[in-house]
Amino acid sequence: MDLSGELGVYCGKLLADAGADVIKVEPPGGDSMRRTGPFIDGVDSPENSLHWRHYNTNKRSITLDIESEDGGALLSRLAENSDVVLESFQPGYLDSLGLGYGHLSDGNPGLIFASLTPFGQTGPYKDYKGSDLVGFAMGGYMYVTGWPDTPPNKLWGLQAFHTTSNRGFTGILIALYHRLATAQGQQVDVSMQEAVATTTEHVNTTYNYTGENAVRCGFRHGGQFVATWQCRDGYVSITTNTQKAWDDLRAWMDRDGMAGDLMDERYNDRFILRGEHGSHIEELVEAWTLTHTRQEITDWGQANHHPWGPVSTAAELLDNEQLWDRGFYQEVDDADSGLKMVYPGAPYKMSESGWRPSKVAPRVGQHNKQVYCEELGLSHEELQELTEAGVL
Amino acid sequence: MADTTALALQGIRILDFTWIHAGPSATRILADQGAQVIKVESNQALSVVGGPASNTARGLGQRHNWNAGKLSISLNMKTDAGKDLARRLVAVSDVVAENFSGRVMPGWDLDFESIRKIRPDIIMLSMSGFGRTGPWKDRVSYGQTLQAWSGFTDLTGFPDTKPSGPASAYSDAVGGMAGAQAVLLALIQRARTGKGQWIDVSQMESMSALLGPLALELSAIKTDVQRTGNRLHQGGGAPHGAYPCLGEDRWLAITVFNDDEWDAFAGAIGSPPWASEERFASAESRLRHADDLDKLVESWTSAQNAEAAMHMLQAAGIAAGVVQTGQDMGENDPHLRERGIFKQVPDASGVLRTIERAPYKLSLTPGSVTKGAPEFGADQDLVLREILGVDDEELAEMAIAGAFD
Repeated sequence: MDLSGELGVYCGKLLADAGADVIKVEPPGGDSMRRTGPFIDGVDSPENSLHWRHYNTNKRSITLDIESEDGGALLSRLAENSDVVLESFQPGYLDSLGLGYGHLSDGNPGLIFASLTPFGQTGPYKDYKGSDLVGFAMGGYMYVTGWPDTPPNKLWGLQAFHTTSNRGFTGILIALYHRLATAQGQQVDVSMQEAVATTTEHVNTTYNYTGENAVRCGFRHGGQFVATWQCRDGYVSITTNTQKAWDDLRAWMDRDGMAGDLMDERYNDRFILRGEHGSHIEELVEAWTLTHTRQEITDWGQANHHPWGPVSTAAELLDNEQLWDRGFYQEVDDADSGLKMVYPGAPYKMSESGWRPSKVAPRVGQHNKQVYCEELGLSHEELQELTEAGVL
Repeated sequence: MADTTALALQGIRILDFTWIHAGPSATRILADQGAQVIKVESNQALSVVGGPASNTARGLGQRHNWNAGKLSISLNMKTDAGKDLARRLVAVSDVVAENFSGRVMPGWDLDFESIRKIRPDIIMLSMSGFGRTGPWKDRVSYGQTLQAWSGFTDLTGFPDTKPSGPASAYSDAVGGMAGAQAVLLALIQRARTGKGQWIDVSQMESMSALLGPLALELSAIKTDVQRTGNRLHQGGGAPHGAYPCLGEDRWLAITVFNDDEWDAFAGAIGSPPWASEERFASAESRLRHADDLDKLVESWTSAQNAEAAMHMLQAAGIAAGVVQTGQDMGENDPHLRERGIFKQVPDASGVLRTIERAPYKLSLTPGSVTKGAPEFGADQDLVLREILGVDDEELAEMAIAGAFD
């Protein structure tokens, strides 16, 4: 049962794509996420949202006003037959409706009840509101992203939400595995702030072990030679992770007559960029990268086993031959619009456990009849009455 | 009170050949839940970031954060005796994890086909930049390479500056989460069917899965998608950004979407005259005038203490949060402290080391690790004598054959 909003919708997608029968519970009239674009043909309508379609592949949809008495009773009955309830309401809200973990697990001790919220179920900030940006800020990732002379920046896309969902999915899988052996369910409490905070590589370890704050340094990372450079047709990532990579880079610059004094032995240490010569070396390297294309630098670097690669623009992403070859991208014919749409696929390939091909997300309440009548046993008259009463 | 000492992965043994961020962070997630993780280390790779010989404080921090609760043995995989021991360990393990380049495990006769002959229900986790099949399978990558190639670097940053890309190796953290999830899925599958399997994590794919509806948008609408700074690409509101506050490099993230939130925000900051201007009266119009609105909001925040302004706005129901530094999280955040996001665990010398706990609280099986990263080769005796049952004489022979050098 996926009752979640933006924090958990990707978690529900992961469960559904991995094979679970995920029922998205929408308020009557449809979930508010259906109002987020982009929209097919630019038309803002609940069935046209690509945002909705992406995050709800392979789910079924029912509508339900969980705040109504009849709606609450129906949700309780649905939860009796559910393995997982996924929600992202303000802490205490479902309890106030008599639909919290204590209530729903009463007749279903194996229930796993996962709550994904901005700050978790406990602590002084538990009732604080959170958006993707606020999660990114409070989790410490934003302060270090950007350039020294720009404001702190978020990552592109809803990565604080995604990370919360990724952490939630992990917690649910742990609980499911435990349940296989014990038949016992449990609560899973995920805080967006913590999900983000534990995803930064170096923010906490730097402060906790050196007493210094990690700071913004654009794409020149940690003063090490992990860097991105402007080149003739965009940007290119050149990591000199080994001595050979640094020596190869210097030698290539030298062959082009552009190494300046970099062949001097005082530049032999590949961590030289950490030190006082950093800006001098940067000037030389970037003057050189500007004379080459992304492809030239990538091809030569990869041929020599160096982790160099292009900075791809959005327009180039669907041309990635590796992603097509491995079946990551799937092209789906959309019957309604006649469009061919490319869906992203599994985050990992497994030899025995499949990943469902993307199926167009459900229309508002598309599975009401199936779920309420065929599975829960309501009569068609009851369904009609509940619909007219605004419960569904 | 329910008994919360049970560990969900009690009895699961993981033979862990991984090194560098993504791999160790995947197995740390599993160690937290009680899996016995045996790190197989070699003298060859001691000084990489987070390795036991990392000589920086930061490297030490990463070593503990990624490897807390694990065991360590040293095996020289260039010797037959070392490889033989590795195969004997496979026979008593549930999971083998590695993130080498594609040639390494087959070179040791430890590719999936070989190890499943030793243990038919083995789960093997292979993590790599691009996956172990396809035209790019032999390409090499670092976190930065993958962020660049997958589109994150160009899309992260402000429209009028160079792209900055994600700070830190987001792709490694993502790869770690992906690897742990896949192992958990495989354990569930094995419990139901008795079958093991091979997991082929391409971090390029794990990252590309996180671009949201972008692939749909590019294929169905063919728009020109560019970086948007702190604004949302779709479904945005205004104000929506990081605003400077009193003090050096202090910022407050503020997000306002609908009209109710806007009214609450305007009231909370004292209803300045500009807040009642017609151009800011609707969400759509605020978005259209977001640049001007940002400057006005900044005129308010720049005289505010970031923490105080956060509490005040939150009291009015506005999603606002301090752009926290490492120090803010480590020392000043009462919420993180109460929830105990950081733990202190002893290293081999008894020195307390700070690590992060798991980013989810499970009510019945919270899990935890009780010690820091192992010293290099610290658990040779436990692993070889107690787990494998190797006796003194055999140990001596292996040592002479160079298995531990």
